[in-house]
Amino acid sequence: MEAVQNFMELSQQVVGFIYPNEIEIHWSILIVVYPYITGLVAGAFILASLVKVFNVKELQPTYRLALLTALAFLLIAPLPLQLHLGRPERSYEMFMTPNLTSAMAMFGFVYLWYLMSVLLLEIWFEYRRDMIVWSGEATGLKKWTLKVLSLFSTDISEKAVAFDKKTVKVITVIGIPSAFLLHGYVGFIFGSIKANPWWSSVMMPVVFLFSAIVSGIAIVMLLYMIIMPLRGGKIDMKCLDKVASFLFYAVIVDFSIEVLDFIHRLYESEESIKILSQLVTTKLFMSLVVLQILLGMLLPLGIMVVIKVFKLQEELRRLLYFVCAVLIQMGIFSTRWNVVIGGQLFSKSFRGLTTYKMELMGIEGFLVALTLLILPFVILSILIKLLPPWKREELAGN
Amino acid sequence: MKGFLNKLPEQAIRVIVVFLVLAAGVFVIRQFIIPPEMKEPTLQKLSSMEREADKEVKYAGAQACGPCHEKQHDIKKTGYHRDLSCESCHGAAQKHADNPTDVKPTSPQKRDYCSYCHTYNSSRPTGFPQINPDTHNPRKPCITCHDPHNPKPPQTPRSCTACHAQIERTKAASYHALLGCTVCHSTPEKHKLSPRTVTPTKPDTREFCGKCHDKASPGKGVPAVDMNAHGEKYVCWQCHYPHMLGGI
Repeated sequence: MEAVQNFMELSQQVVGFIYPNEIEIHWSILIVVYPYITGLVAGAFILASLVKVFNVKELQPTYRLALLTALAFLLIAPLPLQLHLGRPERSYEMFMTPNLTSAMAMFGFVYLWYLMSVLLLEIWFEYRRDMIVWSGEATGLKKWTLKVLSLFSTDISEKAVAFDKKTVKVITVIGIPSAFLLHGYVGFIFGSIKANPWWSSVMMPVVFLFSAIVSGIAIVMLLYMIIMPLRGGKIDMKCLDKVASFLFYAVIVDFSIEVLDFIHRLYESEESIKILSQLVTTKLFMSLVVLQILLGMLLPLGIMVVIKVFKLQEELRRLLYFVCAVLIQMGIFSTRWNVVIGGQLFSKSFRGLTTYKMELMGIEGFLVALTLLILPFVILSILIKLLPPWKREELAGN
Repeated sequence: MKGFLNKLPEQAIRVIVVFLVLAAGVFVIRQFIIPPEMKEPTLQKLSSMEREADKEVKYAGAQACGPCHEKQHDIKKTGYHRDLSCESCHGAAQKHADNPTDVKPTSPQKRDYCSYCHTYNSSRPTGFPQINPDTHNPRKPCITCHDPHNPKPPQTPRSCTACHAQIERTKAASYHALLGCTVCHSTPEKHKLSPRTVTPTKPDTREFCGKCHDKASPGKGVPAVDMNAHGEKYVCWQCHYPHMLGGI
C-alpha cells in the first residue's frame, strides 16, 4: 500500500511523457555513494604514489595517512552495492564462478586485485618493520594483533628493510595503473551503457578518474589538517602547500575535461540534447550548476588562485585550504549524484522527466547512506590507533 | 629451487604463504563445495530446463477449447477477438480440460477486465477501440452491450464523431471546422459495420485541394496559391495537416 502511495506521489511529479517503468528510479543514493567512495580510494592512492614513485619529498607526511585512508574507504566500497543488491552472503560466488563477459561481475576482480595485491601488500611492507618494533613495546591484545598483522615476521635487519622499501616502490608502480583501472572501471560501467545518452560517453572513465583524483587529494588534505593537530603534531605548511598545488592542478584538469565533454555534447547535439538541457536547467539545476560547478569547482579554483597570487598568512591559508577541501568534497559528491541520479531522471523516449524521492529510513535511504559515509572514518580511526601514520619523533619534530 | 627460496627474505616467504593459502582455499571451495551446475553452463542450462519442465502445466493451449465449445469457437473465429486465446480471458484451464465437469474456468464479468486493453492510452495503435471507463456507461458491465466472443459496437455509429471524436475535436478548432467529413472523405456505408476492412477514401491528388485553394477557384476569403508553382510534386497534406488548427 505504501508502495502504491509512493508511486502515486511520484507520478504527480512527472513532467511530459515517461514510460511506466521509468517513473521510479532504480539506482538510489547507495549507488551514488559507491563511486564517491571508490573515487576517494583511487585519489588517495595517487597522492600516496606521488611520494614513492615521483619522489615528491614534501608530501612524505601524508604518505601513510593517504594509504590508510585508501584502505578504510576501500573496505567499505562494496557495501553500498551489497546492500543495494541484497543477499550479501552470496557475493563470494562472484569470485568462484566468474562471468567474464559482464563488466559488473568483473568489478569483484578489480576490487580484489586492488585490495589484496596493491593496497594491503603496500601497507604491509611499509609498516612491517614498525609493526615488529611496536609489538615488542606493546602489551596484551595490541601486542598480539600487531604480531598477527606482521604475520609473525621478525627480521628487521637492514637488508630486510631495504627489501621492504624496494617492494613498496614496485607495488606503487603497479598500483598507479591499478588505481586508474579501479576508478576508470566505475566510469566504464556508466560510459558503456549505450541506451543512456547522459552516460554513454568514452569520456566517462576519464572524467571519473580525474574527479577521483581531485576528491582523493582533497580528503587526505582535510584529514591531515584535522588529525595532525588532534594527535599533538603541527601541520607542515610546506607539505600542505604542495598538496594544495597538486589539488589545484587536478581540479584544473578535471574541470577542463568536464567542460570539453559538455561542449562536445552541445556541438554534437544528438537527438537527446533537448531533454538533457531540460534536465540540467530544471531537475539538476541545484546539484549540477550550483553545487557541482559553481560551489564545488569554480569557487575552490578561485580561492586557490587567490592563495597562489597573493602571499597570504599561514593561518588564513590553512582556513582557505580547509574551506576548499570541504567545498570540493561536496562538489564531487554532487558529480556522482548528477551522473547516477541524473541518468535516470529522463525518459528514454526523450519526452519527459521524473523525480527522485529519497527514503529516510529504508535500506536504500538517507540514514544508511550517511552511515556508509561515516563508517570509513571509524575504520580509519581504528587503523590510525593501530598503525600510527606519524612516529612520535615526527610529531615532536614538527 | 631451494637456493631461490633461501635467497628470498623471510617476510616475502610469509606473504607468499598467505597468498598460497588463499588460493588453495579458493581451489577447495570451487572444486569441492560449489555444485557442478554452478560452474558448467551446459549443466546449468540442463538443470534449469529440468526445473522448468517439472513445473505444473496450467494452460491447456489455444487448440484445446474448440472441440467442446464449438459454438463460441465459431463465433470468435470471425470476430475482432479472433487472435485472442480463450484462456486470455477465462484464465488457465488445464484443470478444466482434465476434468470438465468438476472444474470450471472463470469468466470475467466486471468492467475492469475489459479495460485492461480498452482504456484510452495514447500508446495504443490508431483505430484500436478505446474508451474512457469513467464516461462510457459508468458501472455497466461491458458484456451487457458487447458480446465478448464477437465484440462489435451495439449499434451502428450515426456519425463519424462516434469513433473519430479526437479528430472531430481538432477539426472543430481549425479553419476546416465548417466542412463536413464527407466533403473530403467518401465513406462507404459498410465502413460503419466493418470499420477496418472497408475504409473511407482520402484525397490523394493536388487537384482535390485545388478545388478551393487554387488561385483560379471561385472561393472567397480562402487562402489561394498558384497550384502549378506551389509545392511542386508533393500532395498537399504532406505539408499541411487538414484537421489541425490553422491547417499548417
